[in-house]
Amino acid sequence: MKYKRTELADNIGYSSVIDEKFKTSFLTVRFITVLDKNTASANALGISSLSTSSKRYETIAKLNEKLSALYGASLSTFTRKRGDVQILGMSSSWINSRFAIDGEDLDGEMLEIVRGCIFEPNAHGGQFEADTFRITKKDLIDRIDAELNNKRGYAVSRASETAFIGEPAENACCGSKESAEAVSAAEAFAAYRKLLETSHIEIFYVSSEDNSRIPEMFRSSFADIERAAEKVEFENLSPVKAEIAEKRDEFNVNQCKMVMSFKSDCKDEYALRLVSTILGETPVSKLFVNVREKLSLCYYCACRLISSKGTLMIDSGVEKNNIGKAKDEIQAQLDEICRGNITDDELQSAFLTFGNSLSQIGDTPSSYEGYYFERFCSGNIISPAEHLEKYLSVTKERIVEAAKTLKPDSVYLMLSKEEAE
Amino acid sequence: MERNILTSSRTGDSCIHVKHSSGLDIYICEMPGFSSVEALFGTKYGSVNTMFKMKEDKEYTVVPEGIAHFLEHKLFENEDCDVFELYAKTGANGNAFTSFDKTCYLFNCSGNYQESLKILLDFVQKPYFTQATVDKEQGIIGQEIKMTNDNLEWRVFFNMLRCMYHNHPVKIDIAGTVESIAKIDADLLYKCYYTFYNLNNMTLSIAGNISADEVLAICDECLRPCEDKGLETVFPDEPESVVEPEIYEIQPVGASIFHIGYKCRPCSGQERLRKSMTASAAISLISDASTEMYKKLLDDGVINSSFGGEVFAGDGYFSVIFSGESDSPEIIRDSIREEIGRLLREGINEKDFQRIRKSAYGMAVRELNNVEVVANLMINSHMDGVGPYDSIEALSEMTSQDVLDFIRNELEPDKLVMSVIKGE
Repeated sequence: MKYKRTELADNIGYSSVIDEKFKTSFLTVRFITVLDKNTASANALGISSLSTSSKRYETIAKLNEKLSALYGASLSTFTRKRGDVQILGMSSSWINSRFAIDGEDLDGEMLEIVRGCIFEPNAHGGQFEADTFRITKKDLIDRIDAELNNKRGYAVSRASETAFIGEPAENACCGSKESAEAVSAAEAFAAYRKLLETSHIEIFYVSSEDNSRIPEMFRSSFADIERAAEKVEFENLSPVKAEIAEKRDEFNVNQCKMVMSFKSDCKDEYALRLVSTILGETPVSKLFVNVREKLSLCYYCACRLISSKGTLMIDSGVEKNNIGKAKDEIQAQLDEICRGNITDDELQSAFLTFGNSLSQIGDTPSSYEGYYFERFCSGNIISPAEHLEKYLSVTKERIVEAAKTLKPDSVYLMLSKEEAE
Repeated sequence: MERNILTSSRTGDSCIHVKHSSGLDIYICEMPGFSSVEALFGTKYGSVNTMFKMKEDKEYTVVPEGIAHFLEHKLFENEDCDVFELYAKTGANGNAFTSFDKTCYLFNCSGNYQESLKILLDFVQKPYFTQATVDKEQGIIGQEIKMTNDNLEWRVFFNMLRCMYHNHPVKIDIAGTVESIAKIDADLLYKCYYTFYNLNNMTLSIAGNISADEVLAICDECLRPCEDKGLETVFPDEPESVVEPEIYEIQPVGASIFHIGYKCRPCSGQERLRKSMTASAAISLISDASTEMYKKLLDDGVINSSFGGEVFAGDGYFSVIFSGESDSPEIIRDSIREEIGRLLREGINEKDFQRIRKSAYGMAVRELNNVEVVANLMINSHMDGVGPYDSIEALSEMTSQDVLDFIRNELEPDKLVMSVIKGE
């Protein structure tokens, strides 16, 4: 495997991973900007418009017909948030040309499609083409509406609003339904143009062999754009609230959801991640073994660390009459770590978990891409093996110190309507 | 033991199949350059297998709904400890799942796979149930059932199956109900275990950074020979007709969701593989993003990008399903009917068919690039009675006439059902 990152221009990074075992090629372009409620929806709509059509393939049907003919090549866009940052992008993948039955140059064809979608979008007179934009906008609004259909995910989103109130991270990655409804085709196009001009851009290519046409295409295409990239801060710790905030919703649900947020100002990223793993990321974690298995208080009870905000979220599915007990037991398990009650088995298991997941990086193109992008955001681009060494050097004492920095910040509860009354 | 090398002439990929002396079918795919290992040890026993007998039994045994899934949960506890604790010592991620027609125990890891494989083979062959642990599990699974009831995609799907199937147990939730799992006790679990967890009814599939010699040596060490007792499973008679054409439910959804399904005739083995592939091609020709129907529904704001189709098939059931979000699913249902009528009148455009076939081929090539997918492909194919690379071969033999015949013979107007969940 060969990994290399170069700067194509100011604030435009190009990374390639060449690994001969792959049968497919994978290309992702990310536009990175500050998450702002005034621009989130317009940015999301601007990016989403890229994968529906281009000047050459003017409709969704034409573009999809072409991708289908290229052996089911994929082209999609995404909008995510990472703390206070909005990350918008386009991903595409296709099988290597050596598998093409009719000998097509799939690399060349797909590169041209990607180029067209990014640099020659389906826009005229300063706005995206009206019919296609209307469909894209409806699709985004439907996506926002559909968040409620996944109750666990919805509970975590609502918990973020409460935990990060007043910070960019309180916003949904695509903005609100109301803000999306208000965006016009011209505003979405202007937002996309601004992303091309001012966002930080990271391009990632994974394939079995190097292809100089890709960086050359991006270099020459961006040369025509006057860029003035704005600085983006990836890490912005969230302050803990003076009093624990609580937010409740009522729905017609069978199982209640509880999300507890804890905040930390700990600078020891590796130790804090080990706290999260030992507490609630594996089937031998304290929360799984005690809260779920021994006490049967929750069907699921798991941790996630949002390191860019210094926030640990614990989300659980719980019956109404167990909410108080579950809350106390979750806190009690965190207190156990703070008191140094971490067994050698728990520590070894956490190390093995990291060893396992980091060693598997490289088995899929997206795992390479996800890992190196995360390393880029952290400002420390090291190999998975070097990353693992950092974890293995963490002592029990460092884990205890990191756990002690976690303070309760907020609780979100999704209650069933009858039970709430 | 003979090692059969199975090879795809199209992609050059290959794997090994061994019929082990214990009765177990073993599939091994060495994947040079990959770091991870994925292993599945599974039995052909899923939620639909509620009626069974052995060769020597006179009567069929009928068991409560959800028992296969319950058994899966309980097998994770052995006499001394929880299986997760054992995997924690090797670093592997252990898990399990029960589907309609199989139960699989699995792990993935990047090192020390030999120890993890021994754990897998050992605990699945060593049941330990007591009434006390069964009672406790009823609470945990009861919670899971409640959580699943809040999963609206799952609800809309099962509502559709209940519209479609009169008697086949595929219409029952995999986890059963709070009432049905209350009937499960330790004795019943042992009965099901010794019926279905016979190695003659099981498959081991392992792919990735492994050595076939090492895997087979571990199998020789850990597998306990089983006598083939002639397991028979049966399903209640299922009429070809549907139960009712539509069902609506009101739930707290942000976007209304629907499943529209055609009940087709079930089949098995190679016939099911080929029928599934022609059905997939039919779905693409009717509804993929390059079709006129899709374009019109999208332009009219009736569908969004969540719209899609799939084949859902197994022992005794076969259906073609279209699903997505829409406030007007009735228009989609009518459009699908009309599009099928048009295809039957005008025939299939050969260029479109060739494009769709290429796309399916590309998807098959991609799948062979992933350790987890390869391991799953091998076990699924075997349990379906086909080889892991048969789909690529079947694809090359499929014609547009096959697809047209499928549409004509299987997508019949009176076999169409619709399930909708609308907002409050």
